[in-house]
Amino acid sequence: MKTAVKNQIVVPHKTERRFYGHGIPGVDLEQLAGKLIVVEGADGSGRSTQIAKLVGWLEGTGHATVQVGLKRSTLVSEELEQAQQGNILSRTTLSLFYATDFADQLENMILPALKAGFIVLADRYIYTLMARDLVRGMDEAWLKNLYGVALEPDAVFYLNVPPEELVQRTFAKNAALDYWESGMDLGLSRDLFDSFMKYQITMQKTFRHLQTTYGFTIVDGLRSADAINADLQKKISAVLAGK
Amino acid sequence: MKTFAELDFPGRLIAVEGLDGSGKSTQIYLLKRWLELQGLKVYFSEWNSSELVKAATSKGKKRELLTPTTFSLIHATDFADRYERHLVPLLRAGYIVLCDRYIFTAFARDVVRGCPPEWVRGLYNFAALPDLTFFFKSDLEVSLKRILDGRAQLKYFEAGMDLRLSPDPYESFRIFQGRILEQYLAMSTESNFLVIDANQLVEQQQAVVRELVTQRLRLAEFRRAERPPSKPPAEACKKSKEEASIP
Repeated sequence: MKTAVKNQIVVPHKTERRFYGHGIPGVDLEQLAGKLIVVEGADGSGRSTQIAKLVGWLEGTGHATVQVGLKRSTLVSEELEQAQQGNILSRTTLSLFYATDFADQLENMILPALKAGFIVLADRYIYTLMARDLVRGMDEAWLKNLYGVALEPDAVFYLNVPPEELVQRTFAKNAALDYWESGMDLGLSRDLFDSFMKYQITMQKTFRHLQTTYGFTIVDGLRSADAINADLQKKISAVLAGK
Repeated sequence: MKTFAELDFPGRLIAVEGLDGSGKSTQIYLLKRWLELQGLKVYFSEWNSSELVKAATSKGKKRELLTPTTFSLIHATDFADRYERHLVPLLRAGYIVLCDRYIFTAFARDVVRGCPPEWVRGLYNFAALPDLTFFFKSDLEVSLKRILDGRAQLKYFEAGMDLRLSPDPYESFRIFQGRILEQYLAMSTESNFLVIDANQLVEQQQAVVRELVTQRLRLAEFRRAERPPSKPPAEACKKSKEEASIP
């Protein structure tokens, strides 16, 4: 009896879908049977650990999964990397370049996978892109129009970890702070550590601001990886069941 | 949206728009030569020409990876790069900037490809309007003949093959260009296009263009300084070194 219960596979409940804005031309939202789950958070907040665990759990419970993330498109990821290394693009350009990368993955990975009934796990989504641009003074209305192409996910989890802890985790892994994750291009401070702290605090504020519009779930990222995952599993189960 | 003049830029931007094969590139080249020969500060910028972005665009086109949305976004990226890196600084420095295609190209093409008009216009709303926009209005058949005479084969995106209008590239090109022309004509008035009859001879068109430019811009204001700028840069260089040595 117990094994029978264990083998019971939940068929995801169908929900109404929509794009945030104008969307992608020619997409039939009715056909997107899969689910889109987004994990957001700063570098070092545990996103990839959580996603890896979720993949294991979802596959174990009979769901096919696909993983996507930023800067992974066939179309522009190489050029984007190159541009970032050289720090040669100005703000609007970089912003549009990232949006191109996002749209390419949305159309060539996310939408086809959802159509095929997969559970898509996105390591970051438009919110990180918007937050980065907002912090750098880009116009919010302009960004909202730009990312109006995005599909509204079924769930968005923001792993909240305070900057003091992020810095410790980053050092434990790399012993170096990343130029962009420290917001060094903003000129907040010439001291890398200082700049990192200031930048991350500003980013968290911006996420909280975006949360009021996009309503994602803020998850306490200070707990153990397993405790966080158990929490996410519970929430995702509810989404799959249509609750 | 405002023009560069309305935004108090010392420079002026002149754009040319029109179908492929309307002869606009020839006309803007002749305009550029004329302005340069008068010793004016001139800069020329072409659609889809930013170095870094171009690599991605050509890869996307070659491998037919582009959708209407990514086609639109990648061209907007290219435009933004040229706009922020070249156009705006040069216009601040009092240049006459000549653009072979400007935002109206995107408005026409992307909308024909199925992108929502408000979305496309929103993407480009960081850009100021040209001070003068010449629209080279040619009969569809004339444009088609110019393109088809000059080239044996039509490129995939140029012919609008991604829209699946017709399996025949020539037929597809015809329909596609026809729709773009409709879009251009629809925005001609609201966008203050200076319409040039592109069925005329090259010289006749250029005469009209030069006349209009003379009327609308005070060309003498864009003259290059005669004085050789040998001394000031040397001083500036010294100064910046001193500044750099401050701990």
